[in-house]
Amino acid sequence: MKRELMDILACPMCKGPLQLEVTEEDENEVITGSLKCTQCPETYPINDAIPNLLPPDLRD
Amino acid sequence: MKEEEIRKVVREGYARIARQDSNPCCAPTTSCCGGTDLARDISRNVGYTEEELEAVPEGANLGLGCGNPVALASLQEGDIVLDLGSGAGFDCFLAANRVGERGRVIGVDMTQEMLEKARENARRAEYGNVEFRLGEIENLPLADDSVDVVISNCVINLSPDKKRVFAETFRVLRPGGRLMVSDIVLLKELPDFIKDSIEAYIGCLSGAMMKDIYVGTIQSAGFRDVRIMDETLFPIDLMVNDPTAAAIIEKQELPLEELNEVAGSVISIKVHAVKPNGTA
Repeated sequence: MKRELMDILACPMCKGPLQLEVTEEDENEVITGSLKCTQCPETYPINDAIPNLLPPDLRD
Repeated sequence: MKEEEIRKVVREGYARIARQDSNPCCAPTTSCCGGTDLARDISRNVGYTEEELEAVPEGANLGLGCGNPVALASLQEGDIVLDLGSGAGFDCFLAANRVGERGRVIGVDMTQEMLEKARENARRAEYGNVEFRLGEIENLPLADDSVDVVISNCVINLSPDKKRVFAETFRVLRPGGRLMVSDIVLLKELPDFIKDSIEAYIGCLSGAMMKDIYVGTIQSAGFRDVRIMDETLFPIDLMVNDPTAAAIIEKQELPLEELNEVAGSVISIKVHAVKPNGTA
């Protein structure tokens, strides 16, 4: 996931802005980390450079 | 089927397809003769050009769409494009070639297996302007007014809540932004045994809406200038050769006459709609 696309991402549940936390990053993109909603309690994982923004009940 | 159950069978069905590699249109659960060549034949039939088929990484085209070349042709350099149900990324890569380096293409799909494939395809072909997100088209993970064009190819029929899909699409589009979708709709209600079939749901039949209701749902979401750009009868030979349809036909011992009637009620449409200015 590229950092520059952060500004158009939003929490799928409350549509609030997301805050990026990086665990691993290469020269192009974030590989693992998380996206924390700044408005509701949800946090979404980033694995293998793909943010998992499925609603919590579908995430499994 | 309940909404939750539909979501589950659709996800599982398409995860299976992603693992199998290639399948006939729209998306039968079993494939007797799938493969890249068949995917190419189907894609050619629904209107993609040879150049377009050559222009994407191998493996990105699973032959699952009903065709969205009109939408792709309308994209401008620098556009931010969202693809609903991006699958292995075929339309995303074609869109990425159109919008260029200044543009961005975001593919959203709820099937992990499909996204892994898409990402692998992007990595191999070194696409810098395409990104994929695991997400649900009824709950889009995008900010309000953030996208220039929303495209979708034979996917919205699979959603148990189409009203919500169009409402979410409207929300994320910037004022003046466009919706350009290709989908399967009905001219006549399907017989109950097809409506109740899980295979037919995954194969884009049972979830399809009546055409007028589909267009009305887009209008109710707030879109204006809603136009059907193209309309094609779902080809009967494709249906007879489709393993899903064949299984249903066999199970029901359906006479050819009745089969013709079913085939005559299913069409593929390309719809254009605009989010009016001044709604932000």
